[in-house]
Amino acid sequence: MKKKIIIVGLLSLIFLSGCWDKVEIDQRIFVSTIGVDLHEESGMKKYMVTYEYPNINAIGKNATEDQKVYVHSTPASSIFQAGRELSTQIPFPFYYKHLKVLILGEKLLNEEKMVRQVIDELNRDTKVNKNIQILAAEGKVSDIINANVIRAQTTDGVLYSNVKNNRTSGKYTVQTLTGLISTLDFAGATVIPKVTVEGDRYSVSGGCLLKNYKHVAWLDEKENRGLSFVRGQVENETLDAFYKGDIISFTVIQSSSNKEVNLDKEIDVTFSVRLEGYLQGYIIGKDKTAFDMKVIEEMEKVLEEDVKKEIQSIIKKIQKTYKADVIGIGEHLSKFEPKKWREIKDDWDNIFPDINIDLSVDVKIRRIGLTK
Amino acid sequence: MEKNRISNQQLKALLVTTVIGIGILSLPSEVAVALNNDGWIAILIGGLIPVPFIMIMDRLFKMYPKKSYFQITKEVMSPFVAYIFFIVFFIYTIVVIGYIHRVFAEVIKAYLLENTPIKVILITMLVAVSYAARSRLEVLARVAVMIYPIILGFPIFLLVVNLPNLDYTNILPIFQLDIKQIPNGIFTAYSAYLGFEITTLAFNITEDNTKSVKYTLRGLFTVIGVYLIVFFVTLSQYGVFQLKRGIWPSIDVIKEVDLPGYFVENLDGIVLAIWVLVVYSSLGPFFHTSGIILKEIFNTKTHEVFIPFLIPITFVISIIPDNLVVVTKVMARILEYLAFIVSIILPVVIFIVAYIKKRRVKT
Repeated sequence: MKKKIIIVGLLSLIFLSGCWDKVEIDQRIFVSTIGVDLHEESGMKKYMVTYEYPNINAIGKNATEDQKVYVHSTPASSIFQAGRELSTQIPFPFYYKHLKVLILGEKLLNEEKMVRQVIDELNRDTKVNKNIQILAAEGKVSDIINANVIRAQTTDGVLYSNVKNNRTSGKYTVQTLTGLISTLDFAGATVIPKVTVEGDRYSVSGGCLLKNYKHVAWLDEKENRGLSFVRGQVENETLDAFYKGDIISFTVIQSSSNKEVNLDKEIDVTFSVRLEGYLQGYIIGKDKTAFDMKVIEEMEKVLEEDVKKEIQSIIKKIQKTYKADVIGIGEHLSKFEPKKWREIKDDWDNIFPDINIDLSVDVKIRRIGLTK
Repeated sequence: MEKNRISNQQLKALLVTTVIGIGILSLPSEVAVALNNDGWIAILIGGLIPVPFIMIMDRLFKMYPKKSYFQITKEVMSPFVAYIFFIVFFIYTIVVIGYIHRVFAEVIKAYLLENTPIKVILITMLVAVSYAARSRLEVLARVAVMIYPIILGFPIFLLVVNLPNLDYTNILPIFQLDIKQIPNGIFTAYSAYLGFEITTLAFNITEDNTKSVKYTLRGLFTVIGVYLIVFFVTLSQYGVFQLKRGIWPSIDVIKEVDLPGYFVENLDGIVLAIWVLVVYSSLGPFFHTSGIILKEIFNTKTHEVFIPFLIPITFVISIIPDNLVVVTKVMARILEYLAFIVSIILPVVIFIVAYIKKRRVKT
């Protein structure tokens, strides 16, 4: 009896060890970036999908290979279908759990239905992290991914590190998958960062204005910064302004923005934007000092004027030209004035361009550095 | 200490662990579909529904001290009616077990074990649960005490890791509900509270009967609290539209966690592994109950003999539905009606009959 138990026990060591179908880490492919573009041909394969993944053998001190990143493109009917298509060329299976970045191409963004399909597929998948960063490419996606291959240093992908580390700058507004979906749910419009490529270098700056999953306009850096100020998202950004002929630069370290909605007659919205920060640079000279209340106040005035102009121009644009509510007024109404919102929500696209938006900007220079 | 007695603390833990199981994963989404931002009202009211029935049970057991629920049923009802009651109760328990198993397997397959056949997941869980179900309720109560802190820890953990990126304004607007939708919402939420029937087995074996109700209600309020926290966290993380879209938002919300430092990313694997324990602790008592009912029907000494036969039955029930949609649209509906009968109508009927009989004896 005892012998039998021992034999069964020993056999179970072989069969129950759980390692029989293990996959070594260098035999998995961790896709870090997916780019999707339009493939203009008839048939099912409407997407041009590009996968980027790090070369595991090139990571670490004793790297055996030089090429850090591999890029593959294929036409496919969906982003995961592309993985199946590519499996004919690539020896190992794809893993999407560490996916970090999704880049949508310019031509694709003009096709509402196709963008919706891509987003649904990612949102439905059980493996994909819902915090992936969504970017819009001005031009072709494959150019951008190939451009950052040359600069590849990190395993997460250069674009991801770039976006992750500058998320509070005003130059672009980072957008995750969940964030994209919920802002589009609430307001029907959102902004995602724009990537462009010049020569062999990419740059992330400005934004792509989406309305109902469809591209409406490109925003440049300044316009995007204006929007970020209104949303109170800027935490690390330097502003320049002319003060009595000299350029002063002011670094924002904290910003906040408040909306107040007044529904008495028409919809009146008042934004009060508040920026705090320190003086980064002025000019050296005998009679130039920032150590003076009057000077500081005047500098604040100048900055306020500049910021105000910047914000007003973009608000006017999104209101009159694009008719896209990316500053969250609809969301605010739906949350705080649900009764009014129920009346107007079906007609919001026509009402939004005509609401009155007031703006007050308050800049505070809290510190001036080490010199007077 | 007497054999097969449980303390009131154990009773509370048993109630909490039995009630919280698979419902916690889908509840936020389901109540949001019915009542949008006001889903918490359904959670609250749905959780208060069991209160009068727990009171009734308590009165019933005080009328017939030292007797089990099934003995009381046999005593007050004619044998034929009592058997019908037992059979309904039995069908209810095996459908519950099948349902929980199926949803459990679907979740595990979706998030953890992609390539494992669903039948393997089902059988391993069934065998493990049946082992626990063979023991007395006292043992299950001890298991419950062990798992209780995990259940309380889960919502707190969820809250803490999500705190940095919650948007509390997503909870607004409140009190914008459609009155007609309230019953529907409460009915949905009520299905997440199934399992409090375990008190029918546990009340009469507590050490201190006088305080059992107090502890049971405390347990119930704990469950309501856990559900409310999970609902508000998922709602403020996702906003109402995305919340409605999700099937298991309580797990997805863990995937949203993005704290500085990489080691707290993709936590869903760990949380699900712990959640297996939670499901285990809610399956055990149900399995045990179905064994006990069979014991009463066939008048045997122990319930252990029936447990092995229940494994294939519940297995078949859990693989009948074609897919998850059928499970939630059909199986869950059937279950809700059965639960309504078993947890509300049966106790009331038994109580009324018992009450009338007692009075007649007195006069």
